Amino acid sequence: MNYQFDFNFLNGNFGLLWDGLKVTLQLALVSNIVGLVLGFGLCLLTLSRWFFLRWPAQLFIEFFRCTPVLLQIVWFFYCVPMLFDVFIDPITMGVLALGLNLTAFNAEAYRAGVQAVPREHLDACVALGLRPWQRTLYVILPQALRSAVPVLMTNGISILQQSALVAIVAVADLMYVGKSIATEAYRPLETYSLIALIYFALSLPIAQFVQWLERRQDAALAR
Amino acid sequence: MKASNLAAVPPRPLHVCETKSGEFITLRDVYKSYGENLVVMDHLDLDMRADDRLVIIGPSGSGKSTLLRVMMGLESIQGGTIRFQGKPYIDGNARGKGKPMDCSLQTQVGMVFQHYTLFPHLSVLGNLILAPMKVHGLSKTQATEKAQALLARLGLESKLNVYPSQLSGGQKQRVAIARALMLEPKLMLFDEVTSALDPEMVIEVQNVMLQLAEQKMAMIIVTHDMHFARHIATRVVFCANGKVVEQGHPDQLFTQPREPRTREFLEKVLHLD
Amino acid sequence: MNLDFTVVFSYWQALLQGLALTLAFTVGCAILGSLCGFLLSLLRASRSRWLSVPAGLYVELFRGTPLLIQLFWVFFCFPVVFGIDVPPYVSVLLALTLYMTAITSETFRGALKSIPGEQHDACVALGLASWNKTIFVVFPQALLRGIPPLLSNVVSLFKESALISSVGIADLMFVGQNISNSTARPVEFLSAVAVIYFLVAFPLTRLVGVIETRMLRRYAY
Repeated sequence: MNYQFDFNFLNGNFGLLWDGLKVTLQLALVSNIVGLVLGFGLCLLTLSRWFFLRWPAQLFIEFFRCTPVLLQIVWFFYCVPMLFDVFIDPITMGVLALGLNLTAFNAEAYRAGVQAVPREHLDACVALGLRPWQRTLYVILPQALRSAVPVLMTNGISILQQSALVAIVAVADLMYVGKSIATEAYRPLETYSLIALIYFALSLPIAQFVQWLERRQDAALAR
Repeated sequence: MKASNLAAVPPRPLHVCETKSGEFITLRDVYKSYGENLVVMDHLDLDMRADDRLVIIGPSGSGKSTLLRVMMGLESIQGGTIRFQGKPYIDGNARGKGKPMDCSLQTQVGMVFQHYTLFPHLSVLGNLILAPMKVHGLSKTQATEKAQALLARLGLESKLNVYPSQLSGGQKQRVAIARALMLEPKLMLFDEVTSALDPEMVIEVQNVMLQLAEQKMAMIIVTHDMHFARHIATRVVFCANGKVVEQGHPDQLFTQPREPRTREFLEKVLHLD
Repeated sequence: MNLDFTVVFSYWQALLQGLALTLAFTVGCAILGSLCGFLLSLLRASRSRWLSVPAGLYVELFRGTPLLIQLFWVFFCFPVVFGIDVPPYVSVLLALTLYMTAITSETFRGALKSIPGEQHDACVALGLASWNKTIFVVFPQALLRGIPPLLSNVVSLFKESALISSVGIADLMFVGQNISNSTARPVEFLSAVAVIYFLVAFPLTRLVGVIETRMLRRYAY
């Protein structure tokens, strides 16, 4: 392999990279907050007794889960300004697209958590005379959330990876900055490797934490 | 298989319990622990004759299932020796590695588990002929014939091509016994085989075990069913804390236990009958 | 603003060609990726640290970085690193396959782990040696248990494949974007593309659920 590694060109670009990283982190964190909160609400809708609440919610989820994230992002960037005649700044637009996508996946995660609560617990609540809202608040919710947490965190990391896609619609996140630097300095190898390492460094700790959490939950269940 | 078959069981030979000349199985000073604090077999001694049907009873964690698993070679011991059919079988010191040293001896032990463990992706026939074909070199025709005969004896010949998921618990357990019997073992180990079954199905499995007893199969059984233990055993062994506390003829042990610990256990268990 | 969805139909051929290319890449990389993923999961399950650690690292790396970066890396850096000229289709095929390998190896690993421990005990009780056990007992069950999540992985790959449009491959996403740019009708065409992706992915997802309940209940439990 005849290649001279040269990381010097990065010296002048640290500022740019840092700005890009800030945008990426912003996108990831805010989308996660949106996804966690709205996902929960959406999940409640899918479990509702009323057909006209369940159906649209389910359709929303299926649509966001069965189409590519890139397409969703591009759709938001090009169609929303046109349809609603508004201008939203790119980062907010990115948060919206990623946030709604995460909402759909998280809603499924919450739902799986709720359905994982054993039937016997619900029966026990009736036997103890707990009212429905008490049952939901004190018995179902804590257990559902506990089993949903690993999946929610995995979805969160996944959105971090997907956030790189906003570079394609020219949002100045880490990926976009990396691409510009790589093209300008003719040094794709160093730049892209560095960018990949940064994403990896961001997601690895959380992924390891999720594994640890799942191991602990498995051990608890085994007892 | 009817309840009247219970009467067909041969009379249990009355023999002296403290026999030291166990020609069939001899456990001497067997030691096994998980880590430092959990000693499961604490310098255990046990003898068994070739016409014995041992039933091991005792509180949970007393090493009953572990004993069976050690005999099968599923777990290792850390001390002591086990002889099987007059030959060294398991040696607990470092050289012996605590597991069966002789594969040909190990194949003469058959085991049936609490949770059937039939292979779900194979039919009943597939389950039965897999080991005979792959381990003992039987041809498919030979193995199939043998399987059909065995299933007929157990009343399951119509289930030959059925998958385990379509069988009831009792049927699954009987197939599991048949699967072990295909290899013509000299010793059968039954690890709480009826504990996971509905009451109606327990009797059909126990009848199969009684049928085997009729055919003089040597067996070691771990069970919670004291009534059945009393019927089938030639000797009952009460284990607690990894040691043999008391052993004896079922009639004697269940009515006049000598050790206080045995008495305590039986009081708790038998008053439920 | 006037929306006219009928224009989509006059471009149906181009869209269909794009879909064909998307499907070709999906199926090709799914097959290659699954095979390699299976081999990788064997490496990960190996006793030797020299094999299992690098294999594990590979999986963590490909799951912990965006697919877009992986694509760009293969596309722009491979020719530099290996000094050869790699045609675009090959780059894309390689990137997607490498990604799929990591994903499916995790699926197989999960399938292997989900086989109850008692199955191994039964093999010891029957005297089945490790080679026979692996071929006749472990492998068939791992395969059966692994099929539903594997199919889910393929559906995911189908969606992720939209990324290849960013390096100029004329897949469904690329075609849709192109047409929407040239006709200045993003809403109609991007929505149409979304519907096409949906019409493929949704039934497949449902199918996975059906397979899981019917097949597994019969042969795996």
